[in-house]
Amino acid sequence: MATPEAVAEKRELAGINADYKEKFGFHDPESGYAYKAPKGLSREVVESISEYKDEPQWMRDFRLKALDHFYSRPTPAWGGNLGQIDFDDIHYFVRASEKNSRDWSEVPDDIKNTFDRLGIPEAERKFLSGVGAQYESEVVYHQVNEKLEAQGVIFTDMDTALREHEDLVREYWATIIPPNDNKLAALNSAVWSGGSFVYVPAGVKVEMPLQAYFRINTENMGQFERTLIIAEEGSDVHYIEGCTAPVYSTDSLHSAVVEIVAKPSSRVRYTTVQNWSQNVFNLVTKRAVAHEKATMEWVDCNLGSKLTMKYPSIYLLGPEAHGEILSIAFAGEGQHQDAGGKIIHAAPRTSSSIFSKSISKDGGRATYRGLLEVADGATESRSKVVCDALLLDEDSRSDTYPTIRIDENDADVGHEATVSKIGDEQIFYLQSHGLDEEEASKMIVNGFIEPVTKELPMEYAVELNRLIELQMEGSIG
Amino acid sequence: MTDTAATTIPVCPLTELEPGAMRLVEHDGMKIGVFNCDGTLYAIEDRCSHDDGPLAEGGFDAAACTVECPRHGSLFDLTSGRPKTLPAYAPVRTFAASVVDDNIVLEV
Repeated sequence: MATPEAVAEKRELAGINADYKEKFGFHDPESGYAYKAPKGLSREVVESISEYKDEPQWMRDFRLKALDHFYSRPTPAWGGNLGQIDFDDIHYFVRASEKNSRDWSEVPDDIKNTFDRLGIPEAERKFLSGVGAQYESEVVYHQVNEKLEAQGVIFTDMDTALREHEDLVREYWATIIPPNDNKLAALNSAVWSGGSFVYVPAGVKVEMPLQAYFRINTENMGQFERTLIIAEEGSDVHYIEGCTAPVYSTDSLHSAVVEIVAKPSSRVRYTTVQNWSQNVFNLVTKRAVAHEKATMEWVDCNLGSKLTMKYPSIYLLGPEAHGEILSIAFAGEGQHQDAGGKIIHAAPRTSSSIFSKSISKDGGRATYRGLLEVADGATESRSKVVCDALLLDEDSRSDTYPTIRIDENDADVGHEATVSKIGDEQIFYLQSHGLDEEEASKMIVNGFIEPVTKELPMEYAVELNRLIELQMEGSIG
Repeated sequence: MTDTAATTIPVCPLTELEPGAMRLVEHDGMKIGVFNCDGTLYAIEDRCSHDDGPLAEGGFDAAACTVECPRHGSLFDLTSGRPKTLPAYAPVRTFAASVVDDNIVLEV
């Protein structure tokens, strides 16, 4: 018999689960919006975005060239079904507010209330070094700890960075992900707006994380933020991003580009808790370079969206650089999480690991897609890839596409993959210890993802566990 | 693998490769792009180090002396063969180009 606490927890889970819509899936009126581009993509739309932002000529040229790349490339036929996306049925630029503020009280009421409901100002007060809040196409709030600012740390939105630090932006812009890298990177390069710019000077350690929160409000919206992080020699920074959107019956598109440069002996950790509503296509290109003795870590949690295609990558370009990718994907009904990671060892004595965990339920599909490459000359390099998939029922699906290329004899590479299903024996064993079926199932799932959650700051680990419990509700047939 | 002496191969009369122009030549099954960067000649193997696709017919910026891989956008410095942007990270082969009797020749 279930304990009163378990019954209450069950009720609470049922309540939360019924309501992505209420908790995250609500939307605000658009009456106060400053500008909303008509649906569809064209040269005129791209030029108007650039003109609206009063950009330098080189950026306008960059956008238009990227648009040509987008038009000239075929839609990828691998991964998920991208043929479902109607690129003409999307608003490519929506400005909700004329102002990017450093004071929450100056943010328009509807937008501020939204971020209040999502807990962003509270998180800033409690445990963050800086916050950026993007609503639709642009950042409406940005703040960074004054002490960090005094140390030369720059944490601002990308539009502001282009205006105030143009030379710095231009030096690194698209050097990690060129506009012609792939079709979606080309699209982002043509219509990008918002995102974060982070610059950490040599030797500066940013003790508490910087966070950006991305919110889509409009129906048929395209959000195309662009983030660039530069960690100078010996610096240290942790950047966290989260995202949600309203529940609509029609589709939206999120296609970001994230570029990271980790200079010698620096450390960058980039954590994502992706929880888009299930009408959002999430097609993101993320890539980092790690120079000598630098450490780059991606912690990538994909819970929401209709289809995610995202494979954060790390190029280990300097000797003794280290890269880690922790990927977790949860695919529920109607969802396809096509996630994974790529690591390229291009220098001696580099080391890396990829740990991927996926959970599929209610007919959801989780795919691990990864690349591990050891280049000729990357002697004494070491890497380990582990992919574990957990299927919660007969209708769900898990696929693994690991690619390993080794062009160096003096390297140590390991790969392990498991697919498991929650079995009646496991449930029965835990029930014999007093747990009911749902508690037993949750415990198994929590144990399965624990290697990922233990890497998150406490607040995010709690949130991730809660979200997964929310997704787990009703999973026992 | 044994070293072999460089072979000199003809490209074309200098007058046929104007500043800002590129010409492809083939030698022993290998394609080579010869570029005129505002009067200075450079030559690289026509093979991107990222995925072995053709490279030399990508966007050529004579002022910056770079060529952009048409497949995934890596920008290569023609003076050194080194990539200036990802996804390529390894250099491509370069060859010495010179002018002999008003004709461009390569050492391969």
